[in-house]
Amino acid sequence: MLPLSLLNTAQGHPMLVELKNGETFNGHLVNCDNWMNLTLREVIQTSPEGNRFWRLPECYIRGNTIKYLRVPDEIIEMVKEDAVRQRQATGGGGRGRGGSRSGGGGNSGRGEVFDVIFNISYYDY
Amino acid sequence: MAELQKYVDLTVEIITSDGRVIVGLLKGFDQTINVILSNCHERIYSETEGVERMNLGLYIIRGDNIVLIGELDQARDDSIDLSEIRAAPINDISRR
Repeated sequence: MLPLSLLNTAQGHPMLVELKNGETFNGHLVNCDNWMNLTLREVIQTSPEGNRFWRLPECYIRGNTIKYLRVPDEIIEMVKEDAVRQRQATGGGGRGRGGSRSGGGGNSGRGEVFDVIFNISYYDY
Repeated sequence: MAELQKYVDLTVEIITSDGRVIVGLLKGFDQTINVILSNCHERIYSETEGVERMNLGLYIIRGDNIVLIGELDQARDDSIDLSEIRAAPINDISRR
């Protein structure tokens, strides 16, 4: 399982983010990307010493400043469910896709080019 | 990198650059050594008291901060009474 798929699944859920400088951010994950950049909503920011707090309606965190993320335990089961759902959505997985690719993909591509050329010449005359 | 694959679903100990020792089940990792640790806990070492165990739950640790990942021999670990261990904590090397 990939850490970033777990993070994707955690969207909409509460989490704790600690940055390399020790600051922590508690909030709901709104969005994340492949660089671990995050947006959180309804955030409580804590200073590295843990003695000062701020409330932020929303914040954006650059991925490379993160030390770790603490996510709810149940997310790990949800990742597995997501994977199953995705496999079903792609219509039974790799076999179908592989079949269509091996079914003369190159030929049909060339055919399309010919069609286009043919159509142009057809309209020219 | 494929070397880490054999630790998946095993208990590992991770040392981070801020000197923390985190033990948990390795559930996954990626090219940058970001890791998923489930059911993990931190072991806080002290020279005057036994090891304090703090439950952390499910963690994603960013690869940048990871210094060491090692497989934990469950049987040997179980045979150690952590409350008897006195050891200096590891220094933070993340801030210079």
